Amino acid sequence: MQEIALKGFGEVLKTVTFRVRRYDPEKRELAKYMEYKVPVQMGMTVLDGILYIKEHLDHSVSARYSCRMGICGSCGMIINGKEQLACQTQILELNKDLIKVDPMGNYPIVKDLVPDLSKLFRNHGSVKPYIIREEEEPKSEFIQTPEQREEYAMFTDCILCGMCLSACPTNATDELYLGPQSLAQGYRYITDNRDMGFNERLNVLDSKHGVWRCHFSGACSEVCPKGVDPALGVQLLRQLLTSNSFVKYKQKEATKGPERKSVSGVS
Amino acid sequence: MTIENKKGWISWFNPFRYGTDRWMYSLHRLTGIILGFYLIAHVWETSHILDGPITWNSLMVFLDYPFGPHFGPFILSGVLLVAVYHALNGIRLTIVENGLMLPKPYRPEFPYRPKSLKGLNNVLKILLGVLMIIISAIGIYFIFTGVIL
Repeated sequence: MQEIALKGFGEVLKTVTFRVRRYDPEKRELAKYMEYKVPVQMGMTVLDGILYIKEHLDHSVSARYSCRMGICGSCGMIINGKEQLACQTQILELNKDLIKVDPMGNYPIVKDLVPDLSKLFRNHGSVKPYIIREEEEPKSEFIQTPEQREEYAMFTDCILCGMCLSACPTNATDELYLGPQSLAQGYRYITDNRDMGFNERLNVLDSKHGVWRCHFSGACSEVCPKGVDPALGVQLLRQLLTSNSFVKYKQKEATKGPERKSVSGVS
Repeated sequence: MTIENKKGWISWFNPFRYGTDRWMYSLHRLTGIILGFYLIAHVWETSHILDGPITWNSLMVFLDYPFGPHFGPFILSGVLLVAVYHALNGIRLTIVENGLMLPKPYRPEFPYRPKSLKGLNNVLKILLGVLMIIISAIGIYFIFTGVIL
């Protein structure tokens, strides 16, 4: 089986040492580092290296991954001191003989490199990441121009990998901080012209542990694998909330299309 | 049993491998803490004026020569540098944290370099550096010679 699995791979260019942080909650031991020697071929990512360790050297190494192409955002980890997606980081591009792999910080660890992201999803849910309307069932379509879409389009690229919360220095000490991901998503839904839920989100965003705790260190934008630039979203949200205290912010009402019998069901 | 794996306050001072803004954040924290301690020490120092002129003068001499001749001005220069950085970066943060001088939302394109940390924000950083050099040069010259340029 191994011959078939390794067939088609290029030749081994060099051998790097993986220093992986190991932690098993069932063993009642402190986290420790273990080293593995991994032969590297052209095009091998850090995730491939971890899977090589899992297949050939130590079966008990745990990591979370799914798509292997930077879409699902499952394999975020700290590689050589910086948060990166393991599936998008080429070992040869790192140009180091020693690769230190840590689980993401500021999250509880489930095992080895697997963080518990429930805090991220809880915070994401708390800013109500959906379009809020007064009517229960819309009678017609909401019309949005391409320019209106550009106002928030960049923040829709978020893949919820949670690396911004790991890099954020405020989040390192403030347990209740919403985090750049949730705040940028709050801005994304407020600036959507179909949305009418500004006042509903205000008590979460405009709170002690909300938008005002950001100190604009820019680490979240620096590590974002999709270039979402959450720091920009947080600053723009802050501008919106600051001006809101002088002049009440009014959300743009989307113009409605022709009325239909049912838009929710398949016509 | 899961462990929390919090990075903690020590990560405030770990700006390596991130960008310039992260370095400036760490410096801002550090200078803020130094200024906090300095203000406490300053109040303690000036409170000695209540003990009469002899105590006050001896303290002034001690603070001027704590470890040897003319060491006091060096400490004062350090405090000046810290205060100037903290003040100027505070002004920069007041501008950018209110969303001013930042780009409009844009389409992220590979290799995904964040624009909010560049552009006019970079201009502000360069301006900060230039102003800091000018102000601290004038200030340090005044501390050592007593003459304003």
